Amino acid sequence: MNIEKKREIEGFIALALSSLAAMIGLFWLVFILGDVIIHGIGALNISFFLHDPVPAGMEGGGLRHAFIGQLMITIFATLIGVPIGILGGTFLAEYARRTRFARVISVLADIIVSVPSIVVGTFIYALLVRPLGHFSGWAGAVALSVIMIPVVLRTTEDMLSMVPWTLREAAFALGAPYYKVIIQVVYRGAAAGILTGVILSIARVAGETAPLLFTSFNNNFFSWDMNRPIASLTVTIFQYAMGPYESWHHQAWAAAFVITVFILILTLLGRFFLKWRYKH
Amino acid sequence: MTLAIELEVKNLDFYYNADVRALQDISLPIYKNNVTALIGPSGCGKTTLLRCFNRMHDLYPNHRYEGQIFFQGNNILANDVDLINLRSRIGMVFQKPTPFPMSIVENIAYGLKLKGVKNRGELIGRVEQALKHAALWAEVRDKLNASAYELSGGQQQRLVIARALAVEPEVLLFDEPTSALDPLSTAKIEELVVTLKKDISIIIVTHNMQQAARVSDMTGFLYMGELIEYGFTEKIFTNPDKKQTDDYITGRFG
Repeated sequence: MNIEKKREIEGFIALALSSLAAMIGLFWLVFILGDVIIHGIGALNISFFLHDPVPAGMEGGGLRHAFIGQLMITIFATLIGVPIGILGGTFLAEYARRTRFARVISVLADIIVSVPSIVVGTFIYALLVRPLGHFSGWAGAVALSVIMIPVVLRTTEDMLSMVPWTLREAAFALGAPYYKVIIQVVYRGAAAGILTGVILSIARVAGETAPLLFTSFNNNFFSWDMNRPIASLTVTIFQYAMGPYESWHHQAWAAAFVITVFILILTLLGRFFLKWRYKH
Repeated sequence: MTLAIELEVKNLDFYYNADVRALQDISLPIYKNNVTALIGPSGCGKTTLLRCFNRMHDLYPNHRYEGQIFFQGNNILANDVDLINLRSRIGMVFQKPTPFPMSIVENIAYGLKLKGVKNRGELIGRVEQALKHAALWAEVRDKLNASAYELSGGQQQRLVIARALAVEPEVLLFDEPTSALDPLSTAKIEELVVTLKKDISIIIVTHNMQQAARVSDMTGFLYMGELIEYGFTEKIFTNPDKKQTDDYITGRFG
């Protein structure tokens, strides 16, 4: 067999194997998304968004309590996690630039990103829920923020490091102190990238269930009180999907659909900013 | 012609990475309203010397200055020098254009805002003045709010010069300002350098010997961290005292 023929066959085998692998991956993805869309859209209606649950087994009602709860937890997680992440990333990329300390923290942050989220849930359980004696919305927000921090921190660090060093020197040469160089010049250069990281980190935690099970728990009633257990979409999906009622299953599908669309929008938004950054 | 001294370097040694000596026993006067060129082969220390004048080395750890640089009577290498004030009096233009990620106006106003100029009318007036000074006004007057990144490389470099001029420095340091530019933009920058010396003193580091000959009044030739020869540009380029200088400017090495 000549060498061209051999290469042709090898090429064909590589193509076939990688296509097959892609198809297997895509199949499940399309299957899951399709299932969520088909079941979810069918179960959606206005009262799903506007009403709280009705007693088990009855028809009607909605998951307003879980939407509000989810929103509160996510917003507070963002308010806690984003400033810490951005300031931490700034420290690593600017003040601790090229030090061993910064490298160690970066690696640790990368490891924390891949820690199973249920571990974070139990950690916050031990830290906040046990000592205080009850589940709370705050504990849920803190748990999600712990997942966000390393994501935002690493993105911020990377984005700041991409701003050319000469730009900082130019600002120093005009007589700017370091904190002004960072806030007025470096942040502006990295703004779109950092924003992308923030949005993607919100998308990352918006679908989390495990860290909330041990922290914000769940609540079948409408509540604004972050000091008490509070409902979330993800835990509600878990509870309803496991429940015995047909109407619960429908609502779980609808909730899964809504949360999927929400994450999709966030991800698209993040990608949009990323593109926008490269254009400018 | 009597020459007033703007900066006086005295027995300057500079070390980086704790004990690597980059400059050795440099002494020279920089004259007021003159263009002083620093030439020499790569790694000779000319940029290192330039960055001593605005203490740029202080951004990095493990450096050490020995000797003095007097700026209007004060030693700017002293420990208690206010670097922010020093850098607003001795400005710098870098090799690659360094516009900030902001509009053209904001770029020029940046240094002014640092100095505490808040009045909008005054800001706009001084921005216009700086842009005219840097011969860029006619090209950007209709798009002052456009991003500075929309300008060409040569325009960006003039923008950066305008930004440095806006804070009205007494000295401007140029670190190979045209090495990233095309010949036409280079000519404009050189012309600008010559016009600017009416108002300020200029030190320019350049690899391009024709450029040094065209724009400067005084030239210093550095080699391996030492100042080999310093004098009137005309003399350095036509009849240098040292053989090393002659070899370098005639292209025999470097």
